[in-house]
Amino acid sequence: MKSYTRRKLAGHPEEVRALDGVSFSIFRGTTLAIVGESGSGKSTLAFCLACLETPTTGNIWFEEKDIVKLAEKEKRAIRCQIQLIFQDPANSLNPRWKVLKILNEPLAVQGNLSHAEMTSRAHALLNQVGLPIEIEEKMPAELSGGQRQRVAIARALMLEPKLLILDEALSALDCSVQAQIANLLVELQESLGMTYLFISHDLAMAAHLADEIAVMSHGRIVEQGSPEEILKEPQSTVTLELLAAVPRMSFSHLQAPES
Amino acid sequence: MRYFLRRLRHAVFLLIGVSLLAFVFTALAPGNYFDEMRLNPQIAPETITALRTQYELDRPMPIRYAHWVISVLHGDLGFSFAYNSPVAPLLLVRARNTLLLTVTAMLLAWGIALPLGIWSAEHLGRLPDRLVSWGTAALLVIPDLALALGLLVLAVKSGRFPTGGMVSLNFESHSLPGKAYDLLLHMVLPIAALVLSVLPLLVRHVRAAMVEVLDAPFLLAAEGHGIPRRTLLYLYALPAAANPLISLFGFSIGTLLSGSLLIEVVMSWPGLGPFLLEAILARDLYVVIGGVLLSTLFLVGGNFLADLLLFWADPRIRTEMQA
Amino acid sequence: MRLSRKISGWLVFLVILHAIVIFAGFFAPYDPTEQDRKSPYLPPMRLHFVDAQGHFHARPFVYSWKVREGTFDQYDEDAARLVPLQFLVRGASHRLLGLLPSRLHLFGAENERIYLLGSDSYGRDQLSRFLYGGQVSLFAGLLGAGITVFLGLVVGSVAGYFGGWRDDLLMRISELFLALPWLYLLFALRAFVPLAVSPLQAFFLIIAVVGAVGWARPARLVRGVVLSAKERDFVRAARGFGATDGYLLRRHILPQASSVLLTQAAILVPQFVLAEMTLSFLGLGVPEPVPSWGNLLSTLQQYSVLVSYWWMYLPALLIVPFFLGYLGLGSGLQKSEEPEKMERNALGALRDGV
Repeated sequence: MKSYTRRKLAGHPEEVRALDGVSFSIFRGTTLAIVGESGSGKSTLAFCLACLETPTTGNIWFEEKDIVKLAEKEKRAIRCQIQLIFQDPANSLNPRWKVLKILNEPLAVQGNLSHAEMTSRAHALLNQVGLPIEIEEKMPAELSGGQRQRVAIARALMLEPKLLILDEALSALDCSVQAQIANLLVELQESLGMTYLFISHDLAMAAHLADEIAVMSHGRIVEQGSPEEILKEPQSTVTLELLAAVPRMSFSHLQAPES
Repeated sequence: MRYFLRRLRHAVFLLIGVSLLAFVFTALAPGNYFDEMRLNPQIAPETITALRTQYELDRPMPIRYAHWVISVLHGDLGFSFAYNSPVAPLLLVRARNTLLLTVTAMLLAWGIALPLGIWSAEHLGRLPDRLVSWGTAALLVIPDLALALGLLVLAVKSGRFPTGGMVSLNFESHSLPGKAYDLLLHMVLPIAALVLSVLPLLVRHVRAAMVEVLDAPFLLAAEGHGIPRRTLLYLYALPAAANPLISLFGFSIGTLLSGSLLIEVVMSWPGLGPFLLEAILARDLYVVIGGVLLSTLFLVGGNFLADLLLFWADPRIRTEMQA
Repeated sequence: MRLSRKISGWLVFLVILHAIVIFAGFFAPYDPTEQDRKSPYLPPMRLHFVDAQGHFHARPFVYSWKVREGTFDQYDEDAARLVPLQFLVRGASHRLLGLLPSRLHLFGAENERIYLLGSDSYGRDQLSRFLYGGQVSLFAGLLGAGITVFLGLVVGSVAGYFGGWRDDLLMRISELFLALPWLYLLFALRAFVPLAVSPLQAFFLIIAVVGAVGWARPARLVRGVVLSAKERDFVRAARGFGATDGYLLRRHILPQASSVLLTQAAILVPQFVLAEMTLSFLGLGVPEPVPSWGNLLSTLQQYSVLVSYWWMYLPALLIVPFFLGYLGLGSGLQKSEEPEKMERNALGALRDGV
């Protein structure tokens, strides 16, 4: 058992409850998908898990430690182990930096390695995400959406995180590109043994990628189960709405990934 | 209604803040100041002692501030040592003259800038736009001082315009239309200098704001409905661009006020400018403070008007308030 | 930072202009305070290559002025006294950059004084006064703009990054300063200092005052940039790598503000030079005999000077190239302010292949 999380609620100054009663666990090497419509609190969940925000009440257990209670310094260490991939790669890469600098940043912040060591690791990761090494000299504006997202993934992997949270990571990409990046993610999971938390509003993509799906609405989880369960016997109205939003005729060709 | 009150409260807050700043300045200078006054043979020693007690230099600061505020609210802005009379009436006459210049310049400048900027944006990139851009650039690089002086030189050479003052020496002997004409003639140079100094800024911003709006799809749709071009520009596009322009309006008031200070001195227009300058040179502090307060009042008032204008022009603000 | 050709063009132009001013000692033929009471209000001497007899001279020359018969202030060219221009002459001693003593000047003449821009009522060479005056005025403008921009940076980043009560307080204060018409504020501040200050004191006073007045606008701009930069995902991502606040500010947020600040600085310099000129023109700034662009023009306040001695106006026009340079630089910087406008290029995808 790797990641094990449970959380209650997070409040904002006007007492908006972004999350109100969320509880689930993720097991190492698997993919949990959180699906919900916009405003259901998915991003807040992602930030809390990544240790970038603090829940008002509740606990987050990561490798047997409650990270909510940690001091800032220890939190920083934890953050390195849980990485986020954001929705819009135009926003998540500093537009003034070259790709190499972007990739090296995670290790540069730690300050432990030499430039050469960081660069060689960056090259290795570029390889793994299927990008040519020459791309390191380019600026984000010169890359396509898919390429940028690959850079974002490579960057996230620089620190060898235990958990990767993908916050709508595919939503900003064109359809064909989505499929390619999704396949890359599956590959990486197999080769690196990554644990994923996949957040999306796209139920079909979630079903394709995940071992377990949790449906969120208005800050709480309304339904949870394996993809087949969710798709074949949806329990809540929200799930039904999400299913209806998927522009496909049938789901028979969708398979749950081999576990 | 709520918006009005909010902006009013904001304006009052600004005035209070400025008055506090102004008062702190006076409080910082007194020792220095009264010593200098003693050296001035025109002021009797009794006046000095009387003033010292009057200005309560031995009382703690908050009390002095409170009393000062009360007297200001009663219209008593202090005492002018150079003129040996209360400050307020002296300032008000000058203020009227300054307002005459600034308000007229304001109307004229915006009256030119709006059509020019819109026209320029309409023909973006083509000859009219290029001409306007070059013209504004040319005006921007000439220092305001040089502009004012240059206009004076022109006036002298042409001999057609009076080179200073607000009215001629024989003003009283003119008939009413004659008086108006005389005044107008004297106003031409200062107004020209003011308008020219602020025009490039306005034109550039109007053009920029219009360019942003002219891209909008709703305009294209309206054009498709057959709405004539002029109506389109002025009744559809301009209001959409109004938001940043109204803030610019507020800012331009400040620029014009500051500009008029210099131009009044150069062109001998009897407004606040030369009066304040004199006061500084004569170390007549209360006049200076009063002048600053008055000008701030104009500026804050002008901005307040601009806020009201915004409310009227931009329905989004109205709905925001009701939400 | 990659400089576009436009920006570098203006930069080179400005550097040349500033170099001339910095090395005023070399480029100016005379000491600006050197008086020649016998030659008040001389018009500018015209450069000739062909003399009255029709001979061509390779070396340019001027004619001395001689007083016209029957007048005391009208001059004619004295064809008998031909003064050739000599280059790299030894003249009055001066200090290059305030350090190296030298006696070399770009041009001058043997026994006569050459007045290319005319002289003032004390017989001082206007050209020299203009060049030396530029040192004062430009330096005041640059330093003032620097201080203002720096203050704006500090205030804006504190307000924008930390938010909360700090933000409220700072923004309120900045509104206060924005509510004051700047020249009035400048006057008021000036009024509280004794009138007669040494040139050095006056100089620093102007800078301090001008810097104190102008910080509000840059501060608000910086705050805006910081606020929006704070929300960018790459900042969040960097936090995700364990970055501290300081790191985020230093390496991500403030660089975003750099282009805004540079543009502001370029626009502010002419404004502050103008402020110094205004103050000095009115007698509230740098006092005689130290020349500044402002007090060069102050005699023009007298009607008679304006009418009769038109060349006293020339310095005002010579300032225009400097302002032009800063304006061009500012507008070039403004255009380059957005490297971050990235569209999701479908085109890019076709071009590079995903």
